[in-house]
Amino acid sequence: VDHTAEPSATLADGRGSILVVEDEILVRMGVVEDLLEAGYAVLEASTADEAIALLDGGAEVDLVFSDIQMPGAHDGVALLRVVRERFPALPVILTSGRLKPPREALAGDTLFVPKPYFPGELLRMVERAIEGGRSVAAETT
Amino acid sequence: VGGRLQPRRRDPREHSVLLVEDDVLVRRELADYLRRCGHRVIEASSTDEAVTVLLHVPEQVSLLLCRADAAGTITGFALARRVRGEHPGIPVLLAGNVEKAAAAAGEICDEGPELERPYDPAVVLDRIKRSLAARDRAGGGDG
Repeated sequence: VDHTAEPSATLADGRGSILVVEDEILVRMGVVEDLLEAGYAVLEASTADEAIALLDGGAEVDLVFSDIQMPGAHDGVALLRVVRERFPALPVILTSGRLKPPREALAGDTLFVPKPYFPGELLRMVERAIEGGRSVAAETT
Repeated sequence: VGGRLQPRRRDPREHSVLLVEDDVLVRRELADYLRRCGHRVIEASSTDEAVTVLLHVPEQVSLLLCRADAAGTITGFALARRVRGEHPGIPVLLAGNVEKAAAAAGEICDEGPELERPYDPAVVLDRIKRSLAARDRAGGGDG
């Protein structure tokens, strides 16, 4: 093993890489654990601003899963707008226990799952969104 | 270097690192490395988040890796002192800068479930420096 070589892009070959954006650390821990156990690679952001920094930094992501209500300059809906503008092929799943996203935000590849959700429900939605994103990417290349 | 993990010697749940780092680009590289070493990583973006974890699920933390100047209501130093007092079974690694954090991650990796390091901590540090330099060139904020 060459210990000085660049690592491969993600831990989970094939299944995909998910950016989890959630400001409640205990909630984030649970989601991250479920996704890792399902075989996905996971990147974590505690705010939308952190998520934007990761995406702008070239993080390889197949899906963004974001809470709506978060502190910072951007909430989840504002993050969605940034993603749509800069990374239009990237699917997004929004979640919230209180707020529903505006109808226009749910156009295209954006899905919404209300809290609380069961892990199986989230994983099915993640799989669907990633497959959808891959189809869109294949059509546009 | 392969993307898949080698067979594990021990349950990764026995090796849960609570990583406290407020710069998301630095945290991402450290967490990615530790996960490749077979550890479970709990990412905290501030000492406040770390305190929440230690208050509610301390049994899920087997080691604390914290930047001394981590953001939050209390400093990384204060968090380390608190953990040593309230959770003496949790070892604490306090890193004064990014270089020391990467070196500490290498030490933690050697104690992890993986049979060998996936790559050298110097690679981690190099990736962190490149990420931060790219952000500076782009005129990014504090991450």
